[in-house]
Amino acid sequence: MASDAYDVIIVGSGAGGGMSAYHLTKSGLKVLMLEAGRDYDPRVETPMFNINAEAPLRGVGTPDKPFGFYDATVDGGWEVPNEPYTVAEGSEPFIWWRPRMLGGRTNHWGRIALRFGPLDFRPKSRDGLGHDWPITYDDLAPWYDKTEKLIGVSGAAPARGLLNTPDSPPGCLMEAAPPRAFEVFYERAFRAMGIPVIPMHGAVVTGQMEGRNTCLFATPCGRGCAIGANFQSTTVLLPPAMATGNLKIRTNALVYQVDLDKSGKATGVSFVDRKTGEHHSATAKSVVLAAGSGETARILLNSKSSKFPDGLCNTHGMVGRYLMDSVGLTVSGQFPALQGLPPTNDDGQGTQHTYVPWWGYEKQKELGFPRGYHIEIGGGRRMPSMGMAGLLGDDHASVGDDLRAKLRDRYGSTIDFDGRGEMIPNDDCYCELDPTAKDKWGVPVLRFHWKWGESETNQAAHMVKTFLEVIDRLGGKPQGDVQLDGRKAISKGGEMIHEIGTARMGHDDNDSVVNQYGQTWAVPNLFVMDGAVMVSSPDKNPTLSILALAWRSADNLATLAKQGAI
Amino acid sequence: MSDQPYVSKIDRRTALAWVGVVGAATAVGGVVVYGPKMGLERSTRGYGTDPKLTKPEKAPWSRIMIQGQLQTAAILADYILPATSTAPSASALGVPDFIDEWVSAPYPQQVKDRPIIMNGLNALGARVLNASADQRKAALSALPTSADPHTQAFWKKFRRLTIGAYYTTEAGFKDIGYIGNVPRTRDPGPSPEVKAVLETQFKKLGL
Repeated sequence: MASDAYDVIIVGSGAGGGMSAYHLTKSGLKVLMLEAGRDYDPRVETPMFNINAEAPLRGVGTPDKPFGFYDATVDGGWEVPNEPYTVAEGSEPFIWWRPRMLGGRTNHWGRIALRFGPLDFRPKSRDGLGHDWPITYDDLAPWYDKTEKLIGVSGAAPARGLLNTPDSPPGCLMEAAPPRAFEVFYERAFRAMGIPVIPMHGAVVTGQMEGRNTCLFATPCGRGCAIGANFQSTTVLLPPAMATGNLKIRTNALVYQVDLDKSGKATGVSFVDRKTGEHHSATAKSVVLAAGSGETARILLNSKSSKFPDGLCNTHGMVGRYLMDSVGLTVSGQFPALQGLPPTNDDGQGTQHTYVPWWGYEKQKELGFPRGYHIEIGGGRRMPSMGMAGLLGDDHASVGDDLRAKLRDRYGSTIDFDGRGEMIPNDDCYCELDPTAKDKWGVPVLRFHWKWGESETNQAAHMVKTFLEVIDRLGGKPQGDVQLDGRKAISKGGEMIHEIGTARMGHDDNDSVVNQYGQTWAVPNLFVMDGAVMVSSPDKNPTLSILALAWRSADNLATLAKQGAI
Repeated sequence: MSDQPYVSKIDRRTALAWVGVVGAATAVGGVVVYGPKMGLERSTRGYGTDPKLTKPEKAPWSRIMIQGQLQTAAILADYILPATSTAPSASALGVPDFIDEWVSAPYPQQVKDRPIIMNGLNALGARVLNASADQRKAALSALPTSADPHTQAFWKKFRRLTIGAYYTTEAGFKDIGYIGNVPRTRDPGPSPEVKAVLETQFKKLGL
């Protein structure tokens, strides 16, 4: 790799890296993308329409494939071979999901594509907690528009004007898939409680879109999509970037360090080839880190020099700080009213067709917690799995015709209510380098620290209370052990796979790592373009915002490059 | 439930490969019947973190159940889900092979389930193999109400696995009324018939 052959090195190929590569290559810049995982092509590797009977153990999750055999994730999960991480003594649990594949987590993600709202960028101004972003909703709105039109998002509906739940302008979204029977059903309970249910924004092509196939309304998105009807970096961003002739991708390249010259400018990165164990370096005029919030922080912290003895851009100890995840939990109910419904095809568009945005913005004081959550609701007559006996509840006796009849009757009569809520960043949640543990190649690994605050556990308790009320109004029974104590009901740190905020953006270098365009304060030709830059963790799932922010930041980088400023 | 020997539904190619390894199974009329020494050479290899997904290969670990255990599994699976006029029996769908695959697997959950299933099959086998039809029926119908915690755990686990294995097949889809997994040009939403049923329910619930 000859010196100066590349304008930009991008570390990572997921939402942030993919979008950066898309825009920078289209802007005429020569880009080298380094991906830690293997090459991956959803067009030929996706198990579309496979049934569980074809898979080992009927497709159940195992330590090799934690989200099930058919989950798109390659060489990953809560543990990655040869690449450990640690959790500090005394910390609450934290788990870290990583894939090792081209496209990263965009291959298996939930395709929920919600915009952050105006209040989400001014959290401190609103209630005194957390920190304000250096940008407003209006700064990012045009990039949300462009992103939705590029990746394909369903859920168009008449503008509702709900507080902090932005309506996309006309032309941004494709048609919403119609509510399925269980979605028609649960809407009534929320309506009776005065809570709106609205179309989900799903990164799935439901209409006619140039260059894209329309959803087949079958086979789960989490497996990936061989026809590219949902959004994956590997089908939507990387192919057009490759087509420019300006992109080279090197896989199995695990970057561990940003290299600097004597003046403190980034000259490129060092990486280890995961297959051969050989160490390499690559050079370019600028570097973009988009390895995922954890890995991006790790690379910065491992980039030590005399100027940055505690890690690059870490002069104020900000790298790794303000790590956030979503608050999450699930309560399931079984509903006699849904028993015996005539068979329907509930496969749908993969992601939910409707959802419940946060409704309590004006009641936060009386609610006893400061921020909100939205509700993702699953149900219907989904493809049978090994969990089918769960439909029988406490019936452990019936066999034969009686058993068949009960299963047929109750199939599709359960609904899962998943809360996804905002967390306030706190001083007890961060990552740093473990003082002793190293990966297979001798590179120090991350040590996580985690502690939910009362804001989060109170919110979790409210989720449970709300879901129980909805289940009751619908004449159902909660399933399994329902934990009313928010501290016990809440997810583990990292479990929602929305970890963000380890290199946040801000107005100046005292309390942030990067500026509003992801440009690091310390090294002008080093940029961060993944979820690490986020200042707060609104309940809305982060991927769409990572894409929009990366596009905005890449556009700024391209402008700087044209000006010869980097 | 059949008195016929249980014939494995595993595909012929895989079964013949096992014969090559173990050399103890006999091929009869194009299908392979397990011999008593099948699966003694155990492999504890899982399928790894990057298995081929589009055409999954058979689970790579070798099987530990012997013919008597498979036979007992077939009898019990068919007690739980016997054939009907429209649906096949559990053994006809290869549920005993699946139980074998499950208890032989190297993963923590399956390793935990292994002694529960294997001990349960051995205990039940003594009462249903070489037994009269009446004795067999009595032994099977006593399972759900057994006061013995080991028997209870075995019954619940085996029944759960049987139901899961059965309904994850195409025949299971048909029996339970799963009509998805087919490509469509659009999602029409619920039919007027379904909506009408829901409206009736809403009235009952006061919604």
